[in-house]
Amino acid sequence: MVDINLSFLLRLIADGLLIGFIYALMAMGLTLIFSVLRVVSFAHGEHYMIGGYAAYYLLEAFTGLHPLLAILLAGTVTFTIGAIFERIFLRPLAEEKVERPGEYAILVTFGLGFFLQYLTLALIGPHPKKTARYFDLPAFELGPITATAATLKLGTIPLSATRLTAAVIAVLLMFVMLYVIHRTWLGRGLRAVSQDKQAAAVVGINPLRMSTLAFGMGTMLAGMSGAALVPAFAWVPAVGAPAAVKSYVIIVLGGMGSIPGAMLGGLIIGVVEALGTGLLPDPNRAFAYRDAYGMLIFALVLLLRPRGLFGRQE
Amino acid sequence: MKHVDWRWVLTGSALALAVSAPFLLSGYPYWLHVAIVAYFYAILASSWSLLAGHAGQFSFAHMAFMAIGAYGSGLMGKYWGTSPLTGIVLSTVLAGLVGLIIGVLCLRLKGAYLALFTIAFSEVLRLTLNAELDITGGPNGLDLPPLLATTSRVPYYYLMLTLLLVSLGFMYWLAGSRFGLFFRSIREDEEAAAAMGVHIVRYKVLAFVITAMIAGLAGGVEAHYIGLITPNILILGQMSIVIAMAVIGGIESLLGAAIGAILIQFSLELLRELGNWRLVAFGLLLMLTLRFARNGLIYPLIERLVLYQARRAVIEGREQKAKQAGEGA
Repeated sequence: MVDINLSFLLRLIADGLLIGFIYALMAMGLTLIFSVLRVVSFAHGEHYMIGGYAAYYLLEAFTGLHPLLAILLAGTVTFTIGAIFERIFLRPLAEEKVERPGEYAILVTFGLGFFLQYLTLALIGPHPKKTARYFDLPAFELGPITATAATLKLGTIPLSATRLTAAVIAVLLMFVMLYVIHRTWLGRGLRAVSQDKQAAAVVGINPLRMSTLAFGMGTMLAGMSGAALVPAFAWVPAVGAPAAVKSYVIIVLGGMGSIPGAMLGGLIIGVVEALGTGLLPDPNRAFAYRDAYGMLIFALVLLLRPRGLFGRQE
Repeated sequence: MKHVDWRWVLTGSALALAVSAPFLLSGYPYWLHVAIVAYFYAILASSWSLLAGHAGQFSFAHMAFMAIGAYGSGLMGKYWGTSPLTGIVLSTVLAGLVGLIIGVLCLRLKGAYLALFTIAFSEVLRLTLNAELDITGGPNGLDLPPLLATTSRVPYYYLMLTLLLVSLGFMYWLAGSRFGLFFRSIREDEEAAAAMGVHIVRYKVLAFVITAMIAGLAGGVEAHYIGLITPNILILGQMSIVIAMAVIGGIESLLGAAIGAILIQFSLELLRELGNWRLVAFGLLLMLTLRFARNGLIYPLIERLVLYQARRAVIEGREQKAKQAGEGA
């Protein structure tokens, strides 16, 4: 038991933490959708997948396009898809014209995910795509910290530049989102609708428009998460499912509707996955089970504390 | 004048068609195979519609129960040397037991949380089946011995058809009895049902156990027919197909879901050249059905037929009465 390689473990944890930021960003999108529409989108992974493909094809089509611009444009693409979907399929929910709304929301977003997944498969095919690294690190050496174009080394722990970039972008976007939600009129409108729809309507906020915006912004965050991670993974149409499951785990850990909870949840899931993979003696099996750890925590949290670690009592 | 009761005409001709299909398709063994698989999906879709459409429990673990039936029987045969028949019976019970556990665990969960929990359960099962190579054969799957000592598909066809008809009959009896009423009362309003004296815990768990057993039984038979089961049957895409079949057929109608499943399975096979585009169309149809025809596409037709017959019966009764009154005077 003692021969667990410590530096290997630290490396996994570092990787997990970095990816955790992206999952937290995705989960923030889910949270935003849930708090305004009271809907859990089961198509979140597909928006993430489409965001990744959008960034890939934009960068292919326009050489010299700045990666950050590509990420923003990819976000615009998924925003549009999300907003149109909301307008057509979720509008009756916002208008409260649907019988058994919970059931309808699960099935219709699930249907969207199914549709988008096979549409991508039919259009693009199952072969993986991968983009070049977005940014090279400047090479330097500072005591134990050394950097080359592709990796940053903290002592013996290497951090890959692609993941580091993605994490930095995720953190930046989370701060932008927090600013939008807490400091702008748009954010105030969204929060008002999430707290009390009728009262919001009374003071002149259009809840229908806010629903469309919230769904669009939520899918935009998923799309930008995918766009930020496209250089790190081989992108296939099924890439969304594990990422989506992780963002569900995060919102359940953090409690639906809690944004700091989502951020912390992202980090927890990253670390737990790393530890789970590092601690199982048989490496092949450990790798195969990697996606299961998050799910197990998820099931436990759901069973023991259904409103999440940070959720409010409804 | 005596009118024809179209319900019986249609049911009778559908049954006659189903029973004579092996003779009609004797030159096309592949299509007989498609029919067997279609019946298998019809069992899954209709039992899922009992759980989701009637009892309101939106479980995504239905394929997992099916896989427990299949893998259970295969593994028992491999390690304990049980015969396929014993294996299927035991693994059906096993699926029921797992259904019991999942049902109990899900008592506190509602709506999206229930969906997420059952997705997690199904995924963990899939990952485990994939990872434990030495026991389950991993991604390559597990070979199963044939259930029947024959190379012909015809006996399997009748077996699967019988299974479909018996399970449909059983579920119709259940849905029409007090159980069905309690299931639907839980779906509509759990608190109100409890206040009226419905034993929520018992009926919720019962819904899980019964549908899990039906799915497990179908899975065991199907796996012994095909001769191979792989963890891929558990991917979410497969579950989505079952859900889409039930929704397009009519989620609240057991027969609608079964017919939807059979029609969709056949059209997927007929449109094979279209590749993934048929699933794209299918996903779009799923969304549009939900949005614009909440009761599905098949169920309203059944409803209309039943209503038409009922109206006929009322009119006939009135005419009869008027005639008698006329004779009396």
